[in-house]
Amino acid sequence: MAQQEWKGREGGERGPLPVYGVPYADGQPFGGPPSGGPVGEGADRESEPEPGREPAVQVRGLWKRFGSQVAVAGVHLELPAGRFIGLVGPNGAGKTTTLSMVTGLLRPDDGTVRVVGHDVWADPVGAKSRIGILPEGLRLFERLSGRELLAYTGRLRGLPGAEVDRRADQLLEVLDLSANRHKLVVDYSTGMRKKIGLAAALLHNPEVLFLDEPFEGVDPVSAQVIRGVLERYTHSGGTVVFSSHVMELVESLCDWVAVMAAGRIVAHGPIAEVRGAAPTLQDAFLSLVGAGRRGGEDLDWLGGSAR
Amino acid sequence: MTATATRPPSVVPVFVRLKITLIRNGLRQSRGRAAGWTAGTVFALLYAVGLGVGMASLRHNHYGPAAAVTVTACMALGWAVAPLFFFGGDDTLDPTRLAMLPLRPRPLVTGLLASSLIGVGPLCAVLVSAGAVVAVAHSGPAVPVAVIAVALTLLTCVSLARAVAAANTRLLTSRRGRDLALLSGLFIAVGSQGISLGINSLSSDGGLHRATSIAAVVRWIPPAPAVDAVRSVSRGSYGLAAVQLLYAACVVALVLRWWHHSLVRLMVSPDASTLPAGPAGADRDRREDPDSARRSGLLGRGAADGPARVAALLLPRRLVAGRTGTVMGRQFRYVWRDPRSRAAWATALTLGLLLPVVAMAQHGGSVYQCLWSAGLLSTQMFNTFGLDGSAFWTVAATTATRRDAALELRGRALAMAVVAVPYITVVSTGVSLLLHRISALPEVLGLALAFAGTLIATGVFIGVRFPYAVAQSNPFANAAPGQTGVVTLNVLGGTLAGVVLWLPLLAFAVALHVTGRHGLLWTVLPVGAAYGLAVVAAFLRFTAPRLLDRLPEILAVAAQV
Repeated sequence: MAQQEWKGREGGERGPLPVYGVPYADGQPFGGPPSGGPVGEGADRESEPEPGREPAVQVRGLWKRFGSQVAVAGVHLELPAGRFIGLVGPNGAGKTTTLSMVTGLLRPDDGTVRVVGHDVWADPVGAKSRIGILPEGLRLFERLSGRELLAYTGRLRGLPGAEVDRRADQLLEVLDLSANRHKLVVDYSTGMRKKIGLAAALLHNPEVLFLDEPFEGVDPVSAQVIRGVLERYTHSGGTVVFSSHVMELVESLCDWVAVMAAGRIVAHGPIAEVRGAAPTLQDAFLSLVGAGRRGGEDLDWLGGSAR
Repeated sequence: MTATATRPPSVVPVFVRLKITLIRNGLRQSRGRAAGWTAGTVFALLYAVGLGVGMASLRHNHYGPAAAVTVTACMALGWAVAPLFFFGGDDTLDPTRLAMLPLRPRPLVTGLLASSLIGVGPLCAVLVSAGAVVAVAHSGPAVPVAVIAVALTLLTCVSLARAVAAANTRLLTSRRGRDLALLSGLFIAVGSQGISLGINSLSSDGGLHRATSIAAVVRWIPPAPAVDAVRSVSRGSYGLAAVQLLYAACVVALVLRWWHHSLVRLMVSPDASTLPAGPAGADRDRREDPDSARRSGLLGRGAADGPARVAALLLPRRLVAGRTGTVMGRQFRYVWRDPRSRAAWATALTLGLLLPVVAMAQHGGSVYQCLWSAGLLSTQMFNTFGLDGSAFWTVAATTATRRDAALELRGRALAMAVVAVPYITVVSTGVSLLLHRISALPEVLGLALAFAGTLIATGVFIGVRFPYAVAQSNPFANAAPGQTGVVTLNVLGGTLAGVVLWLPLLAFAVALHVTGRHGLLWTVLPVGAAYGLAVVAAFLRFTAPRLLDRLPEILAVAAQV
């Protein structure tokens, strides 16, 4: 499925037609409309908002200051449901702070956040049960084994024990962690940590999945596994919001992006729209955040041939 | 290449400057850290000066030489074991950080040695050894020997610390090693009790004579011979002094050689992070499988292992169902698996047992000493969320209703109570049996249970209201730097509030004593148990909505690194 997708994208880039019409025309790789709602196919995916479906996330006037430093300066954003959404920006742009506030784990100074129509701060029950989060860094009880961690997280979410164990075993199997399920998470490698974090985030079948740098420090094999799971998830109607600063990855995975710089959203929309006339998303991004392709002129001694 | 023809510049000044910069930048991190460092430095220097002056004042005392060599030898021992406990504290201690640099071991040793002579620790060592030589120097020729002795002592201490650190880098940089080092808190706690018993026996008749006979051996333990050489010179036995100085110098040379050897080995062998985690690891997993499968199955079944399972059998089902049981299971796993919790619990449990026993051994003791065991254990509740660290994130992300919050708190309080109640009962019974005061047991037990109850109750509230970040980088510091205010509020406020809440029951027991109704003293047990339970229940109810409201604030505190 992944290969087909790649072929589709390459074909699209060479062709004169809009990129994203091509791969979806035959229902691949996203298969078909999610069972939940009438999500349009083909060219319909380009337009927003989608008819008949509430936006996955609505953010209005979000502010956060840490002392004199403004981390998030008035973010307005509406993320469509059922998409694979990338939140991109340079380091320190406020991505993590924004995601923390959107998921109800950091109190904003000002502004409102609604997740699938539920206000994160006024209706935490409605919001928290509908979101799954993979935080930056490992913020899990790492002295539990992978299997215990899932059992614990699922029960904290109030799922019945037998169901938690069934889902946990399946997730461990799919994420290639079965062999290490009795190892303590503290002894896991980076890729395994991301995968167990993803499993914990998916356990309660959330409607929206927030992932903070899910591919950072992950080897290609684990990355492919994570990718497969995420694609399957959006495929069946889930929304993925993930932050990253690897543009190639965002370009290959996402169909919708929001670009953040210095605490503000500087561009958002379907990926082709954001990219505009620029040859790649990377170029579009660099011009959006105001960084030219600079460097290397003064390092005339660099070359490794002499000391 | 041509560069090898010319002698490369010495790296010693570079290392010295690196060390100074590291110290300075450590202070720059935060004002609180700078204040803590200053206070620690002042305290250490005062202690060193006190020790030095103390020894110098024994100059004309019969026991002066014995004290000088004993203190010197003890100081060297301290330097030798310090890196095992405080490895993470000094970046320059870890030679693997320098492995990428094209440095030969010999200049590396020289540079590191020079840099490790800088700092508060070496200054303290100089002050202490100066005091030691002053205590034994009584003649003119002794003065230069004394200077050499101080230098040799300092070199021995510093190079010992470095050599031990280098030889154990593998162990100390691994997780298992760091976990082990954390248990040292227990040794310190138990050791301090042993030392206090030792001092007691020394201060009794003939104790100091014993110390003198021990000193006859100690003065041959390096670097004590260097200090003893000063005494030999003062007494005119120059030959002996020469032998002693030579011996001390040889020891320094041997230690340096050992260090050199370890460094060479470290530089050429792969570091722990590059060792393959493949077949061997998988193999070990498979071997551990049956056992850990059994362990992990327990959380899967709703309750948890060991104590939690017993609790599940004894406590009403309604109480431990759902989230409460899950939380308890995790708490118990953490007591065992998280080195910090394990050290704290082991220390509390051991000290709670030791204090009444030591008191009994020393002066008869009192049955009321059992209150220590209740107090030490229950204060573990005070920073329950701060101890979670960034993992509190999981709790915050899954707590949505007031009921979730209430069950989370109840799980934590119950996990504590499940251990505290039997433990307090056993200690109280044991102490009253040993003191032949079994008749006082109901009263003591009632007081202790109520005390545990009020402390757990205030701990629940304090843990939500005044959590503080636990230092992640330094496993020995309880709190991360810069939080003195909150920590004071947490520990002092929690303890005081717990004691105040407990006073009514104490008043009740005292009233029974004063009015002479000794026949009714047994009622303290049921009244105390019920009172403790009621206070905990009331605080759980009161605190649950506050936990729900303060989740982001607690997370912000707990997750700070």
